[in-house]
This record gives sequence, structure tokens and C-alpha cells, in this order.
Amino acid sequence: MRKLAIALLLVFLAAVAALSAFAEQTTPPPPGPPRPLNIPTPTDKTLANGLRVIVIPKSGVPLVAARLLVKTGGEADPADKAGLADMTASLLTKGTTTKSAEEIARGVEALGASIESGAGWDNSYVAISSLANNFGEAMTYVADVARNPVFAKDEVDRLREQNVDALRVALKDPAQLARFVASRVVFGGGPYGHNLGGTPKSLEGIKSEDAAAFHAKWYRPDNAIFVVAGTITPDAAMAIAEKSFGDWKASGEMPPRAGEGAGATQKPRVVVIDMPDAGQAAVMVTRRGLARTDPAYITSQVANAVLGGGYSSRLNEEIRIKRGLSYGAGSSFDFRREAGPFFATAQTKNESAGEVASIINEQLSSMTSTSVAESELTPRKAVLLGNFGRALETEAGLVSRVGALALYGLPLGDLSHYISDVQGVTAAQVKEFATGHFPDESVVIVGDVKKFGDEFKKRFPNAEIIPLAQLDLDSPTLRKP
Amino acid sequence: MRQRLTFLLAFALTIPLSAASKLDVPAVAYRHRTLANGMEVYSVRDNSIPRVAIQVWYRVGSKNDPPHRSGFAHLFEHIMFKSTKHMPSEFFDRLTEDVGGENNATTRDDSTNYYEVIPSNYLETLLWAEGERLASLTVDDAAFKSERDVVKEEYRFRILAPPYGRLYYSLDKDSWQVHPYKRPGIGSIEDLDAATIADVKKFHSTFYRPDNAVIVVAGDFDDAQLDGWIDKYLGTIARPKAPIPRVTVKEPIHKETKRFTEYGPNVPLPAAAMTWILPDARSADSAPLTVAAAILGLGESSRAYQSLVYRDKIANEVEIDADEREDAGLFIAFAVMSSNHKVSEGHKALRKEIDALATKPVTEAELTKAKNQLVANILRERETNNGTAFEIGQSVVVEHDAATVNKDIDKLEAVTPADVKRVVKKYLIEGKPTLIDYESKAEGGAK
Repeated sequence: MRKLAIALLLVFLAAVAALSAFAEQTTPPPPGPPRPLNIPTPTDKTLANGLRVIVIPKSGVPLVAARLLVKTGGEADPADKAGLADMTASLLTKGTTTKSAEEIARGVEALGASIESGAGWDNSYVAISSLANNFGEAMTYVADVARNPVFAKDEVDRLREQNVDALRVALKDPAQLARFVASRVVFGGGPYGHNLGGTPKSLEGIKSEDAAAFHAKWYRPDNAIFVVAGTITPDAAMAIAEKSFGDWKASGEMPPRAGEGAGATQKPRVVVIDMPDAGQAAVMVTRRGLARTDPAYITSQVANAVLGGGYSSRLNEEIRIKRGLSYGAGSSFDFRREAGPFFATAQTKNESAGEVASIINEQLSSMTSTSVAESELTPRKAVLLGNFGRALETEAGLVSRVGALALYGLPLGDLSHYISDVQGVTAAQVKEFATGHFPDESVVIVGDVKKFGDEFKKRFPNAEIIPLAQLDLDSPTLRKP
Repeated sequence: MRQRLTFLLAFALTIPLSAASKLDVPAVAYRHRTLANGMEVYSVRDNSIPRVAIQVWYRVGSKNDPPHRSGFAHLFEHIMFKSTKHMPSEFFDRLTEDVGGENNATTRDDSTNYYEVIPSNYLETLLWAEGERLASLTVDDAAFKSERDVVKEEYRFRILAPPYGRLYYSLDKDSWQVHPYKRPGIGSIEDLDAATIADVKKFHSTFYRPDNAVIVVAGDFDDAQLDGWIDKYLGTIARPKAPIPRVTVKEPIHKETKRFTEYGPNVPLPAAAMTWILPDARSADSAPLTVAAAILGLGESSRAYQSLVYRDKIANEVEIDADEREDAGLFIAFAVMSSNHKVSEGHKALRKEIDALATKPVTEAELTKAKNQLVANILRERETNNGTAFEIGQSVVVEHDAATVNKDIDKLEAVTPADVKRVVKKYLIEGKPTLIDYESKAEGGAK
């Protein structure tokens, strides 16, 4: 274990100390000296078949979390089969050559464990959370579902029907629908433009053979990473990894990665989806962000912390705290293998949808025109460091942080200098980053347009208003022909 | 089954079944003091990481909302982040978020809890701040009105915008006949609009007092230092003389089944809900009811998921929960129907699963599975200092005994097939349910 001290907020300490000059009870007592935070050092080995195994031991409650990451996800969905990676991963637990879906669910749950499989844009995964004493037994299920799924037709049909019903619900939720629409607005017909879980139309076209072929092509040890964290020794975890995956063989050469995810840059648009009787308007300002491996990654996180990361960020300050217009406003970058989207969002009553969209736009502009003062920058960096510290407290957080580094081929040692990297970002770098990354944004609003008021048209004269009944998520224009 | 043996032995204090399968679950080693002003203090020291969690629980929740002020306890919770005599509004964020910590609060039916998770060198600072808002909350009209608007947006965010928000809102409203659990904790726009600053002051002086508070500190600290700071910043707050008003209303035994239809405007799939009144959280029947709910609805191998979602495909989602509360609990079963399936099918299928539980004893394997799932969930909660502190607060305030934190697992392990059958028969078969049909209807549609 390496030790690193978080030098917490010298500026703030000084301010508090100055206040303390008054009578003791009326001012906050200043903090004591900070104690160092332990940054774990993962054990990192590659099995003979190419599977990379990473173990992060952690003391405390007797739990172990693990995740098998296959380095291919929704970016590899064929254009007419949006949702294939997610369907394939979700079907893993629905039957193997030796066990039915029910036997898998019952077997795992009897151990007090929980299993989950699914796909992101860049990866497909099987995750397990287990009591430490029966982690080995729980892993027999993980290995079986990852290696021997059968994709039975009745299971494919059942899952498709369930997913179509779940989509019908999501399409009536303003916040979820705004995300789906934003993907098309930012990425057009490119792979990232489709919905990761597919659409009712695309799901109809996904058959058992498609899932089996996706699995055969991409689920192979030399395209996978296995990450374990919890109350387990590296030796014990390595032995379980070898037993679970040691005889997993890749057949033939690793196929080349599926094409570009982000596709061509799209022109900014203002798209409004009219959902009658929507209980609130979901307002989203969005544009292309950056790849996880972009050298500006750390700077982008600091810039986002100022703009919309955490309670006291500028967006929440302006929209919630000052004006009472929302329960919460914020922003984030969705980092992927290629440039994923950036979102700034808030939900507000329909009547204030236009005002909130304008405030978000103004806040993005101000990031490009004015430097952030140190007195603001330092506490916003602390938000990132706090999130980092809390992630290291749980084994799920460790698996997630370390798994992301491994997935994108970044050095695991980045963990040990994350704190100093964040602290090193300057106001000038934040402004330069904002100037390059915050203009040309699109606006997406889902709400009850008849309540938006006349003022909305003045604010956004070019808005494309699409009635919900005319919406087509399978088309870059978003309109039914 | 091996796992069951492992559990029984493990909880009898880590006797290893074999070196490989020993599960060591240490007790939550808390320390307790009661201050002269009546405040209860619990602490759990763990110096392994330089962070600490503070939870302050007040014995006041939505059931204590004043008349015609539904949602007030929750609105008040928001106001507790505004100014005090010596702190400007949002100063808690300066002392938490700005230094790498976090804070939040939750209003429940029976209680309101506030928490901070912070680098441990800020412990003294935050204990002072908690004392500040307990002793000297101040609030101006502008801050009050702006925060009330935020709460109205929260109401829209939780109830009006999501397709099933109005169903969740209706569960308590329709299920309780007289108990104030009937009133939705989030309130209504009209009641929120009616709230005034005078209400805030009165609520604070009535319920926010040291003898109505429980503080739990878990994580990195020194015992003597912690005691000194708590004595200094919280022990010096005066205890008012007036008695604390308590809810004494008892929900009567429901004599007949009631049925309600609720509507939302953007509901693509209808939903069926059923609820039953349960005993209070301290009842010996709580553990078997929790196990019964798990057998029915926890995980994809549960009975209701297997029959409604997997086998018969009439529902897309089922949720079964034995919601334990201080005065009386609520058993909740609901299903979001699949396309082309009716709410009446949902009620019938849920009923069938409950009947089966009352007539045929569950197998040992099924019982063990449910227990293992529930115990694992308890352990996941304890993974963080804040989770441990939460568990203690909940035990003290809702179950009236901190020691239950170390008895919960034993109580679950002791549940027999006969216990499950008995409580299902007593509360869910002999008890009269409330049925809710949840359907789609455009706003302004005839009702």
C-alpha cells in the first residue's frame, strides 16, 4: 500500500482560522491536521489465455465484488440491431448448457449473492457481489454464464417483450426520453446515436442467432478483464480466476474492433418533444464531450465540477439554490472509448423550461469568458477528491474505478496520482478547456409545450417542436416519415 | 445445505466450518451515553480510514405534520440547511462538500435523519455545526419561499413526472384509514403553499430539542476527544420543559377490503397494488414477515417474480415489501402489468402467491435462500461508516433499542417455516387488504 496525503484545502483552512479569532462558540472550530488516505495497490496479472486479472484486497465487512469485463459493448451493435450487445449480455444469466435461468437465479441467491449482466458502450459485463466465504462457489455461476450461454429462443422472446414494455415506460418519462433524443441530436446516425437498450423496432429484429454470434465473436479471454475487490487475498483471488477462466480458449485471431462510435460531428439543434400532460419538463443542454483517454480528462473533470458537479456547482447554485426552479441541476461527461456526450440537465415545471435552458446556456458561456477564481476552484476540486475517497471505501467502487482504467488501457498507477493530478489543474487550463469544449451545444427539452408560454419562442425561435406521436428514435431526423 | 450451516455457525461467533468457508461477522461494537439534557449518543470507532460519518436523528417525521400542512416535516428538513445564528445559508456545504465530504437528510414517516460524511479532521467542526442548527436556526422569508419552491419541484420530480409516481403517492393515502401515515410525506402543492415562517419556528421549538435527538458517530475519532466535543457543542443545549407531543392514534383493524382506482396521464402499462396493515417494528412477527416478503419478491428466484414475470409473463415488474414502521407497518405488493394484461389479473396472481404461502410450508432450502439474501443485504449496508450509523439510528428511533442492530441477524436465522405460514395467515389472509388499480387517463379526462 502506498500512502498519500490529501492536503485539504489550505485556502479554506486559513479562512476558518481567521474566523476563529472571535469568541469560540460563535465560529466553526478549525479542522485538525489531515490524516493520509491509503491508496490501494492492485495486483495485476495476465493468464496464459490472455485474460487480464486484477485484484484489490480490502479489509472490513466480509464481502467480495467481482466483474468480468468484455471489451466490446453497444458500439458494436449493427445499425439495424440497436440493443444487441445489451440483449446478449442480459441473456447470459437466462440459461447455459447445464443450467436453466431459474436454476441460475436460485443458485446464486441461495448463496446470498447477486449477479448482474449487461452492456455499456465499450464493454459487456457479468458482475457478482458475494459473501466472502462463498465467493468461490458464486464464481462458478459467473464462469458458466459468461462461457456457456445458450440463448434459447423462448428466453430471447421473453426478454425482448420485457425490454419493449420497459421502453414503453421509459418513453413516457421526460428525463429518460430526453436522454434518448439527445443521443440522436449529438451523434446523428453514428453508432453512439442509437439507444444502448435498442428501440421497440430494433429489438424486433434481434434473434437468438444474433446474440449467439455476438457472443462467439467478442466474448473471449484475450478480449476480457476480470477485476476482484474485497476481503480476499491476491493469491486466493488468482486461484479462483485460474479455476474459473484458465481453460477458456479463444478461437482464431481477435477480430478488429467495430468501427467508430462517435461518427461525424452534427450541427447544433434545438429539439423539443411535446409530451402532453408531462408532470415536469426535462431540460438538457448537450454536445460531444471527450474520450476517456483524452489528455484533457482530468481538466474536464475539474471544469465540470465547477459547472455542474455536486450540490454547490454553478448550475445548481443558479437554478436551485438562488431561484428555486428545480430539485437539482447538474452536468457530466460520459467518457467512452471515443468522445461520448456531455450533458447539463435539470427538471423544472413546464412553465420555466425556457428560462432554465437559457440559464444553462449562460453558465456554459461564462465558463469560456471568465477565469474561475481560486476560492471557487479549490473547493470544487475537493468535490472530486471526496468522490474518489468514497469510491475507495466500497468494493463496488474499487472495482468500478480500477475496471475503468483497465478497460481503456490506462495505467493502474493513475490511482496513486489522481489526487495530485486534480490539485495541479489551473484556472487558465479550465478556461482553455471550456473555450474548446463548451460552445456549439444543442438543447433538448421534453415537456408539455402548451405550458411553455410565448416567451419560449422568443428565447428559442429555431426550436424544432416534435409531437411525441411523431417521434422516431431510429431516425437521425427524429421524425416519422 | 452447506451455506446454511456456515451461517448458523458463523453467527454463533465465527466457529470455522473449515478454514475456507469461515464467515467472520463481527458485532457492531457501539458505545452509548445519555447527556444531561437528554440527547442520546452512540459511537462506533473504526480508525482504518481517515473519514467519519455523523448521523443526527430526530424523533419527528411526516406523521407529525401539523394539520393542513402535509409535507411540512420534509419542507422543514430542507430549511435546516439554511442560516443559523452563526452560519449563513448553505454553510453545511462549505463544511462538507467543499472539503471532500458530503451531506444529506431524509424525512421518513417516523423520523428525520441528517448526515455528514467528512474527512475525520473536520469532526469537531461539524459537531459544532449540528449544535448550531439544533440550538439556533434562523430563517428569512426569501430563503424560506425559495426553498419551498424547490420542494414543490421535488414533488413534481417524484410524483408528477415519473409514470408510476402517482401510484407510490397513493399507497399510503389509500391504505391507512385514520393514522397520519395516511398523509403523503411529500405533501401537496396547496399545503406547501399554505406553510409560513411561523410554522417553521413552532415546529423547530416543538420537536428539535436535545431530548428528542439521537446522534451517531461512526469512523475515525478518539473516544475521549469525541466525548469532550459532544459535551461542549451539544451537551450545553438546554432541554425545554414542555412535553414533546407524540402521535397516539392507533390504526384500527380493517374490517373490509377496500378498492381504489388511481390515475396518471402518461401510464403506458397499468399497475396492480395490494397492501395490508402490519404490527409495529418491535413485534416478534416482524422478522417472519420480512422473510415472507423476501420469499415472495426478493430476487429473480422469488415466487412472485417466477410466476408473474417469468412463467406467466403477465407482469413486467413485481415489488413486495414488508415496510416496518414505529406505530404499525405496511405490507406492500405491486405489479406493473405487461402489455395486454389487466390489473385484475395482477391482483389475482399476487393473491394466489400469498395464499400458497399460508397453506403450504416453505421448504428449508427456500427459507435458507431468503435468509442468506437478507443477511447479505445487512452486511452490504455495514460496508460504510454511514451505513453502520444509519442502522444504529434506525434501531434506536424506530425499534426503540440500539441492541437490535446486533440481534437482527439472529432473529432472521430463527424464523421457521411454521412462523412464515402463521404470519402470512394472520396478517395477509385474515387481514383485509386495500386494492389499488392504477390506470392511464389524460389530465382533464372525466373521472
